Amino acid sequence: MPSRGARPEDGSGLVPTDNSTQHKEDLSSKIKEQKIVVDELSNLKKNRKVYRQQQNSDIFFLADRTEMLSESKNTLDELRKEYQEIENSEKTKIKK
Amino acid sequence: MEAPPDPGPHASASASAAAPLRAPEVARLREEQEKVVTNCQEKIQHWKKVDNDYNALEERLSTLPDKLSYNIMVPFGPFAFMPGKLVHTNEVTVLLGDNWFAKCSAKQAVGLVEHRKEHVRKTIDDLKKVMKNFESRVEFTEDLQKMSDAAGDIVDIREEIKTDFEFKAKHRIAHKPHSKPKTSGIFEAEFSNDLKSKDLLADKELWDRLEELERQEELLGEIDIDSKPDTLIANGEDTSSEEEKEDQNINVNMMNQVMDSLTPSNCYQNVTNSELFNGQVNSQWNCSINGSNSYHNNEDEEDDDGGDNENDHDTLGAEDNSIPTIYFSHTVEPKRVRINTGKNTTLKFSEKKEEAKRKRKNSSGSGHSPQELPMIRTPADIYRVFVDIVNGEYVPRKSILKSRSRENSVCSDTSESSAADFDDRRGVLRSISCEEATCSDANESILDEEQQENHQKKLFPLSVTPEAFSGTVIEKEFLSPSLTPHPAMAHPVLPTIPERKEVLSEVSEGTTKRVSKFKAARLQQKN
Repeated sequence: MPSRGARPEDGSGLVPTDNSTQHKEDLSSKIKEQKIVVDELSNLKKNRKVYRQQQNSDIFFLADRTEMLSESKNTLDELRKEYQEIENSEKTKIKK
Repeated sequence: MEAPPDPGPHASASASAAAPLRAPEVARLREEQEKVVTNCQEKIQHWKKVDNDYNALEERLSTLPDKLSYNIMVPFGPFAFMPGKLVHTNEVTVLLGDNWFAKCSAKQAVGLVEHRKEHVRKTIDDLKKVMKNFESRVEFTEDLQKMSDAAGDIVDIREEIKTDFEFKAKHRIAHKPHSKPKTSGIFEAEFSNDLKSKDLLADKELWDRLEELERQEELLGEIDIDSKPDTLIANGEDTSSEEEKEDQNINVNMMNQVMDSLTPSNCYQNVTNSELFNGQVNSQWNCSINGSNSYHNNEDEEDDDGGDNENDHDTLGAEDNSIPTIYFSHTVEPKRVRINTGKNTTLKFSEKKEEAKRKRKNSSGSGHSPQELPMIRTPADIYRVFVDIVNGEYVPRKSILKSRSRENSVCSDTSESSAADFDDRRGVLRSISCEEATCSDANESILDEEQQENHQKKLFPLSVTPEAFSGTVIEKEFLSPSLTPHPAMAHPVLPTIPERKEVLSEVSEGTTKRVSKFKAARLQQKN
């Protein structure tokens, strides 16, 4: 955060990079979450019920375990891709 | 950063205004702009989340009716759940706002969600625009700061700007005298509009003029204020009275005409005014005023007794001074008597009399009256003057109305006035002609031409007796089924009744062919 406070004084060009770093942090935390979800789902017994929460509400819909596992795996892959893209862009910037 | 503090201390106000590039202020500006930007970002994030939620909701709603029932965990508060079934998959209640809900199908709910998403997108776009705008501003301020930090030469430029400002200020001050007339003009206008203009213009001439105007205005204003509570008519009256005071002219006639239309309530005012004027003004004024009063009374017929009395006083006072128009006022009293005693016919009479009086007035205005007026000093004069000549004999006019309208006699407009006068002085004339008095009354009040003719017939033998009355009373009595000859109003006339009766009997006999009979009789007499 101290670095963040210093950057705006240096120039406006750094604002997007600040945003991207935040986004990167969010992504990393999300990836961690998703990893845990995949592990949990994969370790569940076959007769366990899985519920999926409706966004922004307290209702949980019954879902299929295998489907949820595959879905969570997919999301994890997507998140990883996104994270890597950001990292690559940063690297290229630094190189330049 | 060194430059800005130097010019600060001296000439602080102008310098601060002239030097926007000082570091602390620019930094603060940038801070504020950045705050706006961050605020916008937060808002955008919030709205994006809302948009995301709506997206999920839309998806869920669109797939909800796909199955008949869903196994769900039903929430009990935030921490407890129990297994349940979602049964009505195509039935949704949508919150419209303020705890109002609309029950609708899932598809309709999807439509609503779409609509709301549109709104959300719009707000997000607006916020983005604002954010961009402020980002550019932030860049601009940063550039400014850099420039001010980099260049120390700007201090010199600032000094020049400062002198410029001073010059501008002087210029403005110099302009003021030129613009003065304009402002003064405006000032005057405002002044005339509403009397509160207490600005600070130094021109002494102007002020004198303004004060003068103010005095005038106050005068006018006072008049207005006085007149406001009264009715419009009263207002006119006031103005007219003032005119009289100022001019001492005899425009009073005009005023009187105005006054004629006064309502009974204003009658008193009239009277008082006229009384006041009696002291100051010449005789003609009195006359005209009296005339107006009497006329007014005629119109109103049943005025307040007090007003009439006052009128009488006026007329008495006028008699002393004035020659021509005394007679006007005297009509008042007898008329009242008539009204009290008479039937509906009296009303008609009054109306006709009014007309006659108007005509008389007009004629007097034209100058016809002055020739005749001097002749009439007493009621007797009136009767001497207004006499019909039939077959070389002098026949007293009984009904002025009739004589004028029918016989084309020489009688002037003043004949009515004479009749009125006679009414007033009935007591005096009673000894002379009681019969005729009654006759005249009848003529005036009743308006039946045939009856009048009857009376005329009767009166022919009577030579020049000065009298214009026609016997109302008797006719009335006759008309009424009870022939008792004593109406309240007829008491002076009582002795004449027997004679009348004959006439009346004639009338009664000739009811069927009245007109022809009387005409024949008149023709005979004329021949």
